Amino acid sequence: MKKREFMAQIPYGTRDYLPGEARKKRIIENSLTNLFLAWGYQEVVTPTYEYLETFQAGAGCEGLPETIKFFDKNNLTLALRSDMTTPLARLTASRLRGEKFPLRQCYLANVFRYEQAQAGRQCEFFQGGVELLGIPYAGGDAEVIALAIQSMKEAGLSVFQFSLGQVDFIHGIMQEAGIDDECQTKIKHYMITRNIVGLESLLASTELTKPEQEMIRMIPQLYGKQEILERAAKVVSNTKSRQALDNLQEIYDLLAAYDVEQYISFDLGLIRDFDYYTGMVFEGYTPGLGFPVCGGGRYDNLLAAFGFDCPATGFAVGIDRLLLAFERQGIQFNNNKESVYVSWQEGNLMQAIMETMNLRDQGLIVELSLQPESKIQAQQTCDQKQCTKLIYLD
Amino acid sequence: MVSSDLEYLTIALPKGKLFTKAVGYLADVGYSAEGLSEDSRKLVITNEHSKIHFIITKTMDLPTYVEYGAADIGIIGKDVLLEETKDVYELVDLNFGLCRMVVAVPENLKRNKISDYAHMRVATKYPQVAEEFFRSQGVQIEIIKLNGSIELAPVVGLAELIVDLVETGRTLKENKLIEVAQIHQSTARFIANRVSYKMKFERINRLVEDLRSLIVKE
Repeated sequence: MKKREFMAQIPYGTRDYLPGEARKKRIIENSLTNLFLAWGYQEVVTPTYEYLETFQAGAGCEGLPETIKFFDKNNLTLALRSDMTTPLARLTASRLRGEKFPLRQCYLANVFRYEQAQAGRQCEFFQGGVELLGIPYAGGDAEVIALAIQSMKEAGLSVFQFSLGQVDFIHGIMQEAGIDDECQTKIKHYMITRNIVGLESLLASTELTKPEQEMIRMIPQLYGKQEILERAAKVVSNTKSRQALDNLQEIYDLLAAYDVEQYISFDLGLIRDFDYYTGMVFEGYTPGLGFPVCGGGRYDNLLAAFGFDCPATGFAVGIDRLLLAFERQGIQFNNNKESVYVSWQEGNLMQAIMETMNLRDQGLIVELSLQPESKIQAQQTCDQKQCTKLIYLD
Repeated sequence: MVSSDLEYLTIALPKGKLFTKAVGYLADVGYSAEGLSEDSRKLVITNEHSKIHFIITKTMDLPTYVEYGAADIGIIGKDVLLEETKDVYELVDLNFGLCRMVVAVPENLKRNKISDYAHMRVATKYPQVAEEFFRSQGVQIEIIKLNGSIELAPVVGLAELIVDLVETGRTLKENKLIEVAQIHQSTARFIANRVSYKMKFERINRLVEDLRSLIVKE
């Protein structure tokens, strides 16, 4: 019988980062961490998997078809984290409720979801993000949006755009029209997928009046700069939607103080596909990526699901997506640090070690040969390794 | 030329029966290019003046081009969207290219209800749609994916049932097949890439509005 050849494969939707790629990923992660720290956010780490109930409480539903689940030895269902917001809410509600609020938390983590995999959308992916807990005011929202924009700049993106919406704007309109929960869910689904055709046929099948249908139909078209808020204010009269618009105006004014308002467009049809959002929501886009590079929003009820009533707002940026955007936009990493290759003639290893340590102390990247080479060989190795300088001890 | 170029709008058009009508609609709202024809040998047809690229794709591939952002927008049948389930925005029902996705059987195999066809073989170009339909009816079947001439399958005993797109129903009749259920109706749709829709909103939205008013007039 022929022996089966073992081909080591990795599971669907996962990927390896080879040396150059991993280096770029690390550069982005470092720049994000430094930025978050500079804004007063403190890093926290949570387990890679938790009890499924934690995520169910967060999502407010049972199924979670996209979550990767398995059993522990007591047959309890575990789940790989599908986002970081829920674990941090669980952490804050259970272990940090006695702290002085507001709390500013940040993280870098891999998260897991069953996805139809493609470049930039893997089943395991890497996120960096922040959560600002204990602040119900527009100032908190403006801070996380400004920080998200700053993250894009810090990472090295120059062309990008943010869309800003408020889920209460849509909720207000739907409640005023007296739409039942089931139908609201369907409408929201069509809003998220921007299936305008589906939305229209759904509306036509309801008992809503023509003006009500028209009002919901035009929500996705309320997209643009600041004048959209005025346009929207003219068409809605219910208090909830009005307050949502005022809230957006307030956030926008504060973003002007951060000098980032030029990146903002309003998109009143934006609600994002996490159910826990209760206020402003936003997404960032950059050319060459078919999906948002970052996103976030306010989720004032999530912590209450863990028994601790606390307003919160935050965002996450997809690190793999940033990397892909750089690649597609042809952005180079400035990796101009000098790197040295130290090689030696037979008998000179000790001298070479001392020289190497010396150079490392000066902050250089130094790679030491561990076998003797001729000078010609050493130069060849140095070139292969793309080191910028050769030091040869003969 | 990629759609990340913010100055240009890249429009994907499907080869086949929707092509001519789609080109006509776009021309009516001012989007056209010299040499834009289905048998064009050029892969990309550009109108420098209006800053448009046209690409012509195989029907089934069109949603993929738009999902990945290789094209900003496109025109495609709803039947393809249902089969391919890509993440694209579906913005306008253009109301042409009407056809129906149906289940059909040879006359002699006709049964009273759908559940009587359990465990039979179904030949189709649309395995997703077929699978989903029978599952929603609680009926297990075996899908045989073919790439064309679906109506041949029951004739030669490759399958008992077919799921296929029909316009007039003539092909079914010629092959002595009868329709036993309609799965959905399909018309041409105007679709957009999620990010292009935001990055190039003004242009795409104007196009959407123009197309809408065109349809209303007809």
